[in-house]
Amino acid sequence: MLLARMAESIYWSGRYLERAESTARIVQVHTDAHMDLPVGEDVGWEPLLAIAGTAGDGDGAHGREGDGSGAVVEHDAVHYVLCAPENPSSVLASLEAARANLRTARPAVPREVWEACHGLWLASSEHRSETSTRDGRVQWLRRVVAGCQGIAGILAGTMSRDEAQSFFAIGRSLERAELTTRVLDARSANLQPHRGDDPYEAVRWMAVLRSLAAYQPFRRAMPARPQGGATLRFLLQDDRFPRAVSACLSDVRSQLKQLPGTEEPADACTTAALLVSAAPVSRLALRGLDEFLERVRLAVVEVHLAIESTYFRPPLARWPAAAPAQ
Amino acid sequence: MGGRTGTGMPAVTAAGEVPPAWPSYDPDPFFDEMVGPGGAPRPEAAPLWNLFASLGPQALAERQRAADREIRSIGVTFTVYDGTEGVDRPWPFDIIPRVLPAPVWHDIEIGLVQRLNALNLFIDDVYHDQRAVDAGVVPAALVTGSPNFRPECVGVDPAGGIWAHICGSDLVRDGDGVFYVLEDNLRVPSGMSYLLENRLVAKHVFPELFRHYSVEPVDPFVGRLAGLLASVSPTPGDPTVVVLTPGVYNAAYAEHAFLAQQLGVELVEGGDMAVLDDGCLYVRTIEGLVRVDVVYRRVDDLFLDPEVFRSDSLLGVPGLMRAWRAGRVSLVNAPGAGVADDKGIYAFVPDLIRFFLDEEPLLPNVPTYRCGDPVALRSVLADLGHLVAKPTDGSGGSGIVVGTQATPAELADLADRISADPDRWVAQPVVPLSTAPTLCAGEVAPRHVDLRPFTLMGPEGAYVTRGGLTRVALASGALVVNSSRGGGSKDTWVVDPIADDGRSAPAAGPGAPA
Repeated sequence: MLLARMAESIYWSGRYLERAESTARIVQVHTDAHMDLPVGEDVGWEPLLAIAGTAGDGDGAHGREGDGSGAVVEHDAVHYVLCAPENPSSVLASLEAARANLRTARPAVPREVWEACHGLWLASSEHRSETSTRDGRVQWLRRVVAGCQGIAGILAGTMSRDEAQSFFAIGRSLERAELTTRVLDARSANLQPHRGDDPYEAVRWMAVLRSLAAYQPFRRAMPARPQGGATLRFLLQDDRFPRAVSACLSDVRSQLKQLPGTEEPADACTTAALLVSAAPVSRLALRGLDEFLERVRLAVVEVHLAIESTYFRPPLARWPAAAPAQ
Repeated sequence: MGGRTGTGMPAVTAAGEVPPAWPSYDPDPFFDEMVGPGGAPRPEAAPLWNLFASLGPQALAERQRAADREIRSIGVTFTVYDGTEGVDRPWPFDIIPRVLPAPVWHDIEIGLVQRLNALNLFIDDVYHDQRAVDAGVVPAALVTGSPNFRPECVGVDPAGGIWAHICGSDLVRDGDGVFYVLEDNLRVPSGMSYLLENRLVAKHVFPELFRHYSVEPVDPFVGRLAGLLASVSPTPGDPTVVVLTPGVYNAAYAEHAFLAQQLGVELVEGGDMAVLDDGCLYVRTIEGLVRVDVVYRRVDDLFLDPEVFRSDSLLGVPGLMRAWRAGRVSLVNAPGAGVADDKGIYAFVPDLIRFFLDEEPLLPNVPTYRCGDPVALRSVLADLGHLVAKPTDGSGGSGIVVGTQATPAELADLADRISADPDRWVAQPVVPLSTAPTLCAGEVAPRHVDLRPFTLMGPEGAYVTRGGLTRVALASGALVVNSSRGGGSKDTWVVDPIADDGRSAPAAGPGAPA
């Protein structure tokens, strides 16, 4: 028996841990990529805010220059994405939310998982001032990424493959799918060629791959240079790379098979997977990427909603009343 | 016998005297749990005394550190509040156990069962015929006027007529070594998880002692509790039992989670459950609604059901009282049980035992003056400086004034408050609590202790924990033992001198019992 509330907490702890790890990695890679480009060819810090899901949220002032130019300053943007108290999806806020959810879910998860998450949140919070310099930031981000992976490792090594574990895995995979689409989306304006011969096109695609920890796997899997069609095919449709959207969705689907009463979420997941596998990647590398990604994002949101209404908070009337417990 | 020194116990001196473990240890004038008059260890504590005599201060400190590490690693915590969010603190544990001989414990055990039996008969009577009131055993005002009397419970028949299934009693030991009942906690008593975990830690810290002593085990409590919960189920077959907690911010949440885990049942919050049109209680699981038969609730009466009690409560379940009254779910303890643990009723418990059981009480009460009685009121006001004054409706330690530790201004204020509303107050002599050797800042010193055993009562019988949770006031001279106020705890050993024969004898010299 798994309580609906426990399932929901576990699911969200999976999502938040993934969000913290992925966002940390994106910031790290963005800083590196910035340094690879010649002066003047700024990768820009707006994409960082877009990836963090905050661009165009009505409060456009975060991290923008006070001179009215609207340019985003590195320090402010990074601070906002990592630990600004007013940003509810900052890395630090994600760790805190993961911790709060695991606290609730403690009866259903191994004790070490809770302790590791609590420790990571505490250390990240205590050392948040480190993020103001590039040096310190590298250390801080590394700790977050390693800490999140450590927690995933403890889970994989000590948690029974029960329903609770399935909800954690589903949360993590859905968050991954969403982040991959968001990374692509945030860069789509930059990625699609403005001119015939852009010498930095490969650098930009490499940055995309790197921020998803995909560069090396891409190199091993694809003979092509990291450019449009090949990269898109890899990040959207590769079934073996764990951060590719279709791989995330097939993880979700196989976890859903472990759960009771799963038709609606499974259908939503199939719909999303079909959309992704049918993507005309070569054409999308040239145009229409943003509209397509928006459709994928919405399809992923549908999966989340189906899970929520099936398992976490269905209206009382919809609960199948089980026979008095045997 | 000399060969037994090989166990690590110190040799008996040529004169046959037991070497003092702590030369400067002096509990006088209090009754000490380990040391008898004249400074020799009590017979049941002698092996323990000898072990400590052989351990220097450094070894003792090392054992304490080992215990602290153990407590952190198994995660025994309690929650304190620092303004916003509760913070989990490691549970304070003193490594020197308290030892009680089995025959002494046996008397306490039957006394506690007798008492809880009478209290349950009384509660059932309160919500039915009120014979005790009619016969003049207790004043009606103390019953129906009590803030813990629940009109909603009138006429309800819980399984077996039992309302208070779990009682946490507070026992204290006077200067003469006699145990007194200081309080009966019949609502949502806490502390049983610490009792169980203290034993676990003690076993890891002093494994050798468990070879020399036959200490009665405490873990059967969990099985007994599980059996009790199942036995009150309204439906046949394997019942669904849940533990209802107010949530993670409750001070006892760690205990709620521990008990749910030990019992192998779900830990639920009010929002997880609903009462449907069929009048039954259901819990929301990922597989749908599952009917709940028994709720071991750790939520106070007034928060249980917003339809009946506090309408702003988010901790309970709307309709829960309906389901309970209709007999579709059992609540442990039953709502309304608190009517019998009121400090005003306390004074009458010996009379209730005589009335309902036709027996003499086996465990004495601390003498209690009811300020509502004009004669008693006069002597209380004349002697406030030597008494403890308690509001009748307070729980825990709230509102209690210890006369010997109050300033003249506080005493004057107290006298005014008692005179203004004498029915709300009782007064008791200050009990000179017994002491036990306790490790304080590297030194072993006498500290005051109390004892909280737990009694279970169901239709199929009663059970008392072997020993209980010993709470210790860590400040010198202090009488307040609550962990939230800097109190510590000790493992409590009930040892059987017969079963110990020979095994615990290494250091017994002439004059010690066989």
